[in-house]
Amino acid sequence: MKAKKQAFLLALPAGLGLLVFFIVPMTYILIRTLAEDGFADFSGFFTDPFYLNILWTTVRVSLVSTAVSLLLGYPTAYFIARTHSRLKSVMMIVILFPFLVSAVVRSYGWIVILGTNGLLNQFLLGLGILSEPLKIVNTETAVVIGMIHLLIPYMILSLVGVLQSIDPNVEYAAYSLGAGPVRTFCKVIFPLSTPGIISGCVLVFTMSMTSYVTPKLLGGSKFRMMATMVVQEINVNFDWGAASAISYILLATILAVQVAVVLTTSGYMKRMGGGKNA
Amino acid sequence: MRERRVNWVCTLTAVLVMLFLLAPLLVIILASFTPTPLVTFPPQGFSLKWYANVFSASNNFISGLGNSLKIGILATALDVILGVLAALSVCRYNFWGKNILLNYFTSPMYVPSVAFAFVLLQVYSQIGGIPGPVRIFIGHFIIILPYIVRNTVSVLHVFNWTLEDAASSLGANPAKVFFQITIPIAKPGILAGALLAFLYSFDEVALSSLLSTPKFITLPIRIMNYMELTFDPTLAAISTLLILGSLVLIVLMEKFIGLDMFVK
Repeated sequence: MKAKKQAFLLALPAGLGLLVFFIVPMTYILIRTLAEDGFADFSGFFTDPFYLNILWTTVRVSLVSTAVSLLLGYPTAYFIARTHSRLKSVMMIVILFPFLVSAVVRSYGWIVILGTNGLLNQFLLGLGILSEPLKIVNTETAVVIGMIHLLIPYMILSLVGVLQSIDPNVEYAAYSLGAGPVRTFCKVIFPLSTPGIISGCVLVFTMSMTSYVTPKLLGGSKFRMMATMVVQEINVNFDWGAASAISYILLATILAVQVAVVLTTSGYMKRMGGGKNA
Repeated sequence: MRERRVNWVCTLTAVLVMLFLLAPLLVIILASFTPTPLVTFPPQGFSLKWYANVFSASNNFISGLGNSLKIGILATALDVILGVLAALSVCRYNFWGKNILLNYFTSPMYVPSVAFAFVLLQVYSQIGGIPGPVRIFIGHFIIILPYIVRNTVSVLHVFNWTLEDAASSLGANPAKVFFQITIPIAKPGILAGALLAFLYSFDEVALSSLLSTPKFITLPIRIMNYMELTFDPTLAAISTLLILGSLVLIVLMEKFIGLDMFVK
């Protein structure tokens, strides 16, 4: 009984803070939005092709960023997990380093490189490969590049943890039993690393879905994703009802994705001994 | 033998990914020293005038930095206290709903910060008269709490609680047990969590841009506002300073907590 009381007292400050400043406001505004306009703002979102297109753009950018991060991040993580050289800690620093630098700064770096007067265009025009500058900044391509740059460290870190925990002897066993590198990868390493793949992909996908800085700076004012649209509704269109609807739809979307992933993979993750941080 | 483990596809990809990650940062550092407003390569000379621009008071970068540091340090300090206590409550005791409680503590992580920012904006506009620093502080203090709870829990998860019993059976009072046994063991998790939380707050844009008042602007917002009006290497200079700051942090981190703390 005493233990229960202690646990309760320890949990109280944070629990109360979250309740007052987070749970109550989130619920109150949802109820108020519904009480004022009913489901008008929400149905307005789902019947207007303009908004549906923004949702689709957001999902598309997030899917592409997740897929590319996985494709490039997996071999990188494998290299880091298996290398014995002193390079390893240098590489960990290189991965963690941009991760500590603000998204604003990183987007700015990409504008300097990819902009109409940027270094890439100067280089290609100077060599005579192009006669007109490439337009990359303020397109979806720039947003995807910036997003991958922003999120690939998360993917690599999720994968390195899992790959490090796979005993290299398991791979040698597969080799000694006659499996080639491809077969060893498909039948041994890949299945054992699925917990990391799943958690990395969910993390990157949700962060991309909700990201604000990268689409704003690299996409320009005409490129809209859910998060930038919320701010635009507030500051430009002064339509708070629409902003509320978009906010809660975005929240519902990422919660749905996470619940769906947990439900479909929980049995599998358990067998693989994953989800240690869950 | 050693190199056989890592084939050339992995090595090549790893090298390319490293270059990709570093490219924009290196470009920014080079750009901050160019004398011309347009960044060219190779640079046509060397100049520190953009750094002088950063420090000129009219640009408000330094006051923005001060604001960001204040919010980040205060919010992290408060959350370390709340978060460590919360982490203890779910790790030390066994009770029904433990996992639900942990999910409750980390719930702000699942909410897009733009959505939470807008909710706060609406609440503030109903209450009225809340000063700028408080508006931003409340948002940051909520949104960074999960990082401290999660990282502390990840250490306490494998904590051997009999150590506490051993200490108290040897005559240590509860306060002594807490400060001399529990806290030192949980320290790497607390430090990693505090660092991530502080950086999240320091770099946060969505909340701060919706909740800031013209009088109280944080550094990232100040940089973004500057970028919209003037696109010159002053941005590169302030960015380079921030990159240097991160570099110092990561070296300190490697020294004191080890980077493996961040491998999930």
